[in-house]
Amino acid sequence: MRTLGAALGMGLATSAMAAECIAPANPGGGWDFTCRTIGKIMHDIGAVDAPIQVTNMAGGGGGLAFNHVVNERNDDPDLVVAASSATATRLAQNAYGGMTADQVSFLGAIGADPGVIVVAKDSPYKGLKDLIDAVIADPKSVTFAGGSAVGGFDHLKVLMALGRAGFNDITAVKYIGLDGGADAITQTIGGHTQAMTGDISEVVGFLSAGEVRVLAVMTDERIPGFEDIPTAREQGIDLVAVNWRGLYVPKGISEADYGKWSKALAAVGDSAEWAAAMKANGLAPFNKVGKDFQDYVNKVVGEVRELSRQIGVIK
Amino acid sequence: MELLAHLAQGFAVALTPTTLLLAVGGCFIGTIVGALPGLGPSNGVAILIPLAFSLGLDATEALVLMTSVYYGAMYGGRISSILLNIPGDEPALMTTLDGYPMARQGRAGDALVLSGVASFVGALLATVGLMLLAPLLARVAYLFGPPEYFALYMLAFCTLGGLASRNQAKSALAAAIGLGIAMIGLDNQTGIPRLTFGEMHLMDGVDFLVAIVGLFAVAEVFIYMENHGRETALGVALGRITVPVKDIVRCSWTMLRATGIGFFAGVLPGAGASLGSFLAYMAEKSAARDKESFGKGNPRGVAAPEAGNNAAAGGALVPMLTLGVPGSGTTAVLLALLLTLNITPGPLLFEERPEVVWGLMAALLIANFVLLVMNVPMVRLFVKILSVPPWLLLPGITMVSFSGIYSLSGSSFDLILMIAFGLLGYALRKLDVPTVPIILGILLGNNMEDSLRRAMVISDGDWTYLFSSGISIGLWAAAVAGFIAPMFLRNLLKRPGAGSG
Amino acid sequence: MGDRVFGLLIAVVALGYILSATQIQIGFLSDPVGSRTFPYIVGGVALLCAFAIMARPDPDPEWPAWRSLGRIGIALAVLYLFAIALRPLGFLIPAALASAILAYQVRPVVRTAAAAGLGLSFGLFAILKYALGLGLAPFGRMLTG
Repeated sequence: MRTLGAALGMGLATSAMAAECIAPANPGGGWDFTCRTIGKIMHDIGAVDAPIQVTNMAGGGGGLAFNHVVNERNDDPDLVVAASSATATRLAQNAYGGMTADQVSFLGAIGADPGVIVVAKDSPYKGLKDLIDAVIADPKSVTFAGGSAVGGFDHLKVLMALGRAGFNDITAVKYIGLDGGADAITQTIGGHTQAMTGDISEVVGFLSAGEVRVLAVMTDERIPGFEDIPTAREQGIDLVAVNWRGLYVPKGISEADYGKWSKALAAVGDSAEWAAAMKANGLAPFNKVGKDFQDYVNKVVGEVRELSRQIGVIK
Repeated sequence: MELLAHLAQGFAVALTPTTLLLAVGGCFIGTIVGALPGLGPSNGVAILIPLAFSLGLDATEALVLMTSVYYGAMYGGRISSILLNIPGDEPALMTTLDGYPMARQGRAGDALVLSGVASFVGALLATVGLMLLAPLLARVAYLFGPPEYFALYMLAFCTLGGLASRNQAKSALAAAIGLGIAMIGLDNQTGIPRLTFGEMHLMDGVDFLVAIVGLFAVAEVFIYMENHGRETALGVALGRITVPVKDIVRCSWTMLRATGIGFFAGVLPGAGASLGSFLAYMAEKSAARDKESFGKGNPRGVAAPEAGNNAAAGGALVPMLTLGVPGSGTTAVLLALLLTLNITPGPLLFEERPEVVWGLMAALLIANFVLLVMNVPMVRLFVKILSVPPWLLLPGITMVSFSGIYSLSGSSFDLILMIAFGLLGYALRKLDVPTVPIILGILLGNNMEDSLRRAMVISDGDWTYLFSSGISIGLWAAAVAGFIAPMFLRNLLKRPGAGSG
Repeated sequence: MGDRVFGLLIAVVALGYILSATQIQIGFLSDPVGSRTFPYIVGGVALLCAFAIMARPDPDPEWPAWRSLGRIGIALAVLYLFAIALRPLGFLIPAALASAILAYQVRPVVRTAAAAGLGLSFGLFAILKYALGLGLAPFGRMLTG
């Protein structure tokens, strides 16, 4: 039985030797979405034979699942695990108890949630530059709210943006971490904080209701469907920061198995079903599968590690 | 009238033979999941999400099934609280205080029927409130910033003083133990783990389910082993099961008050059903003339928390639907379900997807009536639990608790932690230290600390910011009144003659 | 007496807690309140409560006799072994043994104990696994390889 371990959301019909996708969090978050959506489409389009069973293994911000894969399932060819920028951030910050990114094989990411900086609709800040100038003039005048803890990806995005503008006094920047992006945006609309940093999927509803203004999106180009939101780059802040949604697999599986999974993931990435799911969830195209992606993760880990050292999250 | 038209539309979507069948099934499963210690409403809903997909249900049908399970679990939690003194889930915690004493007095049936009716009143009125006020109430969440939340949590902890029966120091100690446990894990404001001693399982902190099941269910095993069941409700003679009309009538105001408090607590994201039932119970106790009888089987101490937690469950749907902010673990899972059904909650949900919103409202109403109809007669079945012989019941509860907790993370660590909580619970019970404040400390501790620290970040350490809005000043005033007034009243009551009337 | 010992114990634990709180790392990015303040306050409150309990102890509870203590010890050992056996051995066998021993402790009749062990392990496994969908393995990897 491969179903050993923690499982809450486990289907009844899927008890056979099906492949398994571990979502390293409780049902409901981004990782859970990744497993369920990618797993479902993978089976629907025939990229895998049996439905993929989703197992939730919450704990340690994904560390428990990482540990489980490295130490107990290192050669399991029927296992994929959901990952995102948060996985890379935590690996970079040594938050998985000393385990490193090269202990698993990153498979690929086929979509990304672009980072955004958002203010309430009645805010005096009309563009990203206004906000950054205000912080540079008086760091105490702006508090940022985000859905991750201090040192998490939402916080780092603000620091990186300020860094690109030449402001490096990072300890002066005020940031509060809330329990998720929706919470952060509620605080910003309520006027308790001046700006929110998060992913675009978290603000779509508030944006169409006219409650907020998105100052900048951190992608190469404007996002389809949101063409009126300028990128950070257009406003002179050369920053791309996206929260990619992808998978990793155990390190010890064969080249052939790795190839099989990357083909299946690439097929999902090209499917119409995935395009629809991305649109519904505000994801932007982001396609890196295989070795390409492994290199990308290594680069991001290095960058985040450097920044985290500067802000003192790690030594 | 527009409302009725909307609702009619909702019922047209939600009331078909299939959905009715799903509602009955969902309510039944929810009640069972809620009643089993270690399996709360969030597990129940999470477990059923894949089932909804494998049955090929459409969006409305899936919603009906899930809300039935959600409400069913909210009803079900009280059953094990009353019969076994083990809360089936955390919102049912307060129901143990008077429900279990009632059961030991042979009034288990009365307590179950009364709490069933109270749950119905709370849930029904909250659903009505949700229909009438949801878009309006969404603005309330905007008004609550870090200082307001901090004041709210202070209020909860200040009223704890009224919970202790005799020794205030022991009650305060229990709250401190809970708060101390809550500090373990990743510190939200620095991103650095605290007090985890390098243990990865502690990074996310101690799950309150582990604490609750340990302190209540596992401790019960040790208590039973010590005195061979002399102090349990097992084997208590059961009278005939009737509907306690007199109690229900006497508690009608209690239920209404508790519904109001619970609903309000539910509307605020982060407070949730546990705070709702706690505040409802404490308000009822402090308003009562016969304070001394609370904790000894006062029917109002059963009606208040049950109306409160069910109302809060309904209230928690307000921020979930209008802001996409889940107010509790369970609404987080419901939110996930909505997202998988391609429904994105947010300020425009009511305008863009009226069929979903009103279908959901209709589903909630259906679930409520199904639960009332199912629950009152099912009491007969539930009280049978008390006549299951202890040699079967005791290991049975233990196995269910262990399996439920094991399914959270699949590690032995949580189980061993739970056994440690069991030993702690046993020792504290012996020493007459209340365990309820420990759970409250674990549940609310991080929120309280985070809101204070967020407030201080925003204000650059200026403490006056905590008292800068009307809402926070009002809450602080209530907290001071809740803390000082009981002491003052107690002195007043001690004087001969002064307490009567 | 019981309360005085308890108070002393709590005082020691509270001091230990405060001491470990001094070891909490603080990055450069600390907020005005900081990571250590709350643990200090909580430890301090616990310390005060401990002194209050020692100063005005309640009457002693009825402590268990040695025999009862032995029974509790056995139950504790059974629960602990069950907790660590669940993963390597799966649900069925540890659950059957643990339920049977607990049942025997409640009612020392071999027949009912065996019935409780077998009935609970198979019955609950069926309910939890197939009706509620919990992730339980019937036999662990150690048994199935």
